Amino acid sequence: MKRPTPAVWAALTAVLVGAACITLSPYFHWVTSWPAGATLPVTSWIGTGLTAAFELLKPLARTISTLLSYPMMFANTVLVNSPYSLTIGILTALGWYLGGIRLTLLVVSGLGFVLFSGYWIASMNTLALVFVSVPFALLVGFAVGLLANEFKSINRVVETTLDVMQTVPTFAYLTPLLLLFGFGPVVGLIASIIYAAPPMARNVMLGLQRVEPEIKEAAIMNGATRVQQLFLIEVPSAVRQIMVGVNQTIMAALSMVIIAAVIGGFNDIGWEVLLTMRKAAFGQSLVAGLVIVIFAILADRMSGALAQSEVRYSWRIALAVVLVSVALATVERSLLPGPDSYSAFKGLAAAADSYLNAFTAANGLVLDAVKNGAMFFVLLPLKIGLGQAVLPFTWGFMWTKWMSAAVYAVFGVVAVVMALRGSAVLGLSLLIVSGVMIVGIANLPWPFMLVSLGALGWVAGGPKLAAFAVTMIMAILLMGLWEPALLSLYLCTAAVSVCVVLGGLIGLVSSVSPATWSVVRPVCDFFQTIPLFVFLIPVLMFFQIGEFSAFLAICAYAIVPMVRYTYHGLTSTPEELLEAAVASGASDWQVMREVRIPYSLPTILLGLNQTVLYAFSMLVIAALIGTTDLGQQIYLALGQGDVGLGVAAGAAMAILALVADRLVQAFAMKQRQALGL
Amino acid sequence: MLQQLPPPAISCKGVWQVYGANPEQGLKQALSDAGGSADEAARLLRQRGLVPAVQDVTFDVLEGEVFVIMGLSGSGKSTLIRTISRLVQGTAGSILISGEDILTASKQRLIELRRNKLGMVFQHFGLFPHMTVCENVGFPLKMQGADKTSRRKRALEVLELVGLSGREDAYPRELSGGQRQRVGIARALAVNPDLWFLDEPYSALDPLIRRQLQDEFLRIQAGLQKTSVFITHDITEALKLADRIAIMRDGKIVQIGTPDEIIVNPVDDYVREFSRDVPKGRYSHVSSMMSLPDRLPNMPDDPKIGAEMTVDDALASCMALYQPVPVWGADGKMAGIVHPSQLASALQSERPA
Repeated sequence: MKRPTPAVWAALTAVLVGAACITLSPYFHWVTSWPAGATLPVTSWIGTGLTAAFELLKPLARTISTLLSYPMMFANTVLVNSPYSLTIGILTALGWYLGGIRLTLLVVSGLGFVLFSGYWIASMNTLALVFVSVPFALLVGFAVGLLANEFKSINRVVETTLDVMQTVPTFAYLTPLLLLFGFGPVVGLIASIIYAAPPMARNVMLGLQRVEPEIKEAAIMNGATRVQQLFLIEVPSAVRQIMVGVNQTIMAALSMVIIAAVIGGFNDIGWEVLLTMRKAAFGQSLVAGLVIVIFAILADRMSGALAQSEVRYSWRIALAVVLVSVALATVERSLLPGPDSYSAFKGLAAAADSYLNAFTAANGLVLDAVKNGAMFFVLLPLKIGLGQAVLPFTWGFMWTKWMSAAVYAVFGVVAVVMALRGSAVLGLSLLIVSGVMIVGIANLPWPFMLVSLGALGWVAGGPKLAAFAVTMIMAILLMGLWEPALLSLYLCTAAVSVCVVLGGLIGLVSSVSPATWSVVRPVCDFFQTIPLFVFLIPVLMFFQIGEFSAFLAICAYAIVPMVRYTYHGLTSTPEELLEAAVASGASDWQVMREVRIPYSLPTILLGLNQTVLYAFSMLVIAALIGTTDLGQQIYLALGQGDVGLGVAAGAAMAILALVADRLVQAFAMKQRQALGL
Repeated sequence: MLQQLPPPAISCKGVWQVYGANPEQGLKQALSDAGGSADEAARLLRQRGLVPAVQDVTFDVLEGEVFVIMGLSGSGKSTLIRTISRLVQGTAGSILISGEDILTASKQRLIELRRNKLGMVFQHFGLFPHMTVCENVGFPLKMQGADKTSRRKRALEVLELVGLSGREDAYPRELSGGQRQRVGIARALAVNPDLWFLDEPYSALDPLIRRQLQDEFLRIQAGLQKTSVFITHDITEALKLADRIAIMRDGKIVQIGTPDEIIVNPVDDYVREFSRDVPKGRYSHVSSMMSLPDRLPNMPDDPKIGAEMTVDDALASCMALYQPVPVWGADGKMAGIVHPSQLASALQSERPA
């Protein structure tokens, strides 16, 4: 018989440890719940440490805060007090100049909607924050990217920091910032700078790194000094990638400004959404949400046109548009209504509300059935296991120990059979899955988690990765955040599984049917431009506050990368390989199964990786509508100003995301190497 | 045959380029362990996980000469040219350019040298994508501090030289591969450098365009008489363009010689393998095969063979003869004699020796 591979050993170890945990758990309580005595008071340490540090930093922070408040107040005053016809005129002219008639129409109709919705002032407050935060974020990101490119010694540090910053949930920034800078819009501004700078830094690094070596050498051989090389040759050569960074930074800044609205105290559009959502005035909150979506789309398309196209349209027409708007602006005060007095969609919103009420009343049974069905038969078993979730009340019978034993026996036999037929890993994995289904993710014993994640890390990336995974998970245990972390893991696993199956399927269908892709693609684009926040509105409308709504919102947001990467992976198979397969007599389905899917596996795994990260970032936002996991802890900490809990829970969330990220990346890397890519 | 040699434009002595952790130290250690033997040192380096990309390379390039470095990919030729131009820092040895050691030159001095004396042409052209053709060619002049009008004037001059007049305001992306490389050549010539590095300049081009540009290179070179170091993996290109050829293998130079010497007297099987498919008669010359004995044999025929004729041409006029024939030098005096069968057998040097 063949010698077992490391994967087999890993799976076997996990099975054995899992079995041991299940047998021991009735006798030793500590197997399932980490003993409270072994928890380090990390949360309070962080709290005290940071509070003390903040006391020292406060004068500096307050100075920064004051300094930043000037440009912010300036931008705010200008945007809020300018006649709206002037603002719309200038943005329209810009739209024309960058993108011609299509973008012009988009800008006019979008801003027209904003004006008539009655959210003009609130939008301008939001926009003022974006206008101030974007230049700072670009500057910081550019400088960091440039330095990291220049000094290879800090390159790794910067990369790691950017990785971590990408995984730390957005709300987690806010608590320390609140303590440091005090309540007010400046916190939103700073949070948005911190959040929006990394994409710029990343793209600057990537762009400079990708400049052809010969171009760099040509600059050297022409006698350019380092500074000349950098600014005359390398940066201009990398301008495309850098502009992609500009686009991403603008989107991130907008997204964060809106998220920062949860701290309140500032009449902006994010706050309007939150307020109307809390009042359950969904029609109105949908209008406000649409205003956000409009800004996101406009920002994306305008900066996208700036980045991707070199075609510019006649500046004379742009000037004419501006002049007309100036003329309009001069008479605006006397002839046109003020920006506050529009409320074209009030009636519509109210109608939508009553229609929605009628709809939910009429279809309440169906909606409830969907929700309860998903909760009782899928989510709950996943969360607390079949052992606890199967009750006479819902399933019609009681789960017994014998049933567990029967399931284990069946899967054990399956595992043995599969092992004999050569796929031991798959068999053992199925056995593990059966165990998880019976015990439930929220009840998984910590020794099992440590061992199996370590084993997974070992198989994917060797001892270093295994050690990384184990120490990271240990940190969560020591912080005493194990239970909420498992709840996060459960919600994330549920959503990611759905995304993988559904998103993979959509990607697969799109890859063979261009017609499908032509529909799916704009939907994906649209979903990726919408700020996270807005996803909550529609799910709340139909399913109220609760875990199921959170689950749906996460799925809706996190499915996009899965679809995209699956599609791109499947469609980027080299033509030659396909021709070789067809020439060998493969049918369409055989080409798909034998060539396209294996070849695209690394790309699909990267999609999975993105989906996991997206799910984690939405998890925190979903805390707003009722979850019980780490996200909720972060949100609570924000409300109570508990910086220790906020940072610790944020770190725990980041750890989960990082471990998942590293594991999937390592598998993708392994797969790529196996294919010789 | 003694003659007064002009001073070398480039003089490389014992140049090493080692990659890996702490290469200087590693090389020193390996050399002392190997008792000074370069081959043994290279073996030791490899054993210790270092990569000796260029090993103990020594050669001179004469003023005005086209010196071709030829080898397969991975033989270290690209690394060598980058070490000479100090795009990478050499590990050991000395490289003198007009008597000045470039390996120890200061940063400032290097910039000066590159601005005034050196030009380089790249395999994938290395054109700046955000500049027009004219701006690309004018870039080295800009580095010299020339003003805009004089840059444009000179750029147009050089563009005319490479046959690209009229495309000066196009962007590189709008040009074909051959045109792009002409821009690359024009840029390297813009400052009228003394020394010209060409790193596989035609390897990325179609065969037809390649031949066209080779002819142009010969034309330009005949006019400007620049010292050129030319890298290629194509033996016919090397034979066509070179005054002298250095053949590299695994980081070492295995033979240096004129095209005739390489073809007629390959030092080993590796070099012989290179010239195997080459139409030798076209690249070797009568001068490399003639001799001048003290007593001239009986030579009834004189088909007017010149010493600088290719073997093909000479054979065409003496194929039917069975007696030695005289070879005439450019000065009109007899330079030597050659037997037609000698010429014919040179064409089949594949016979086992």
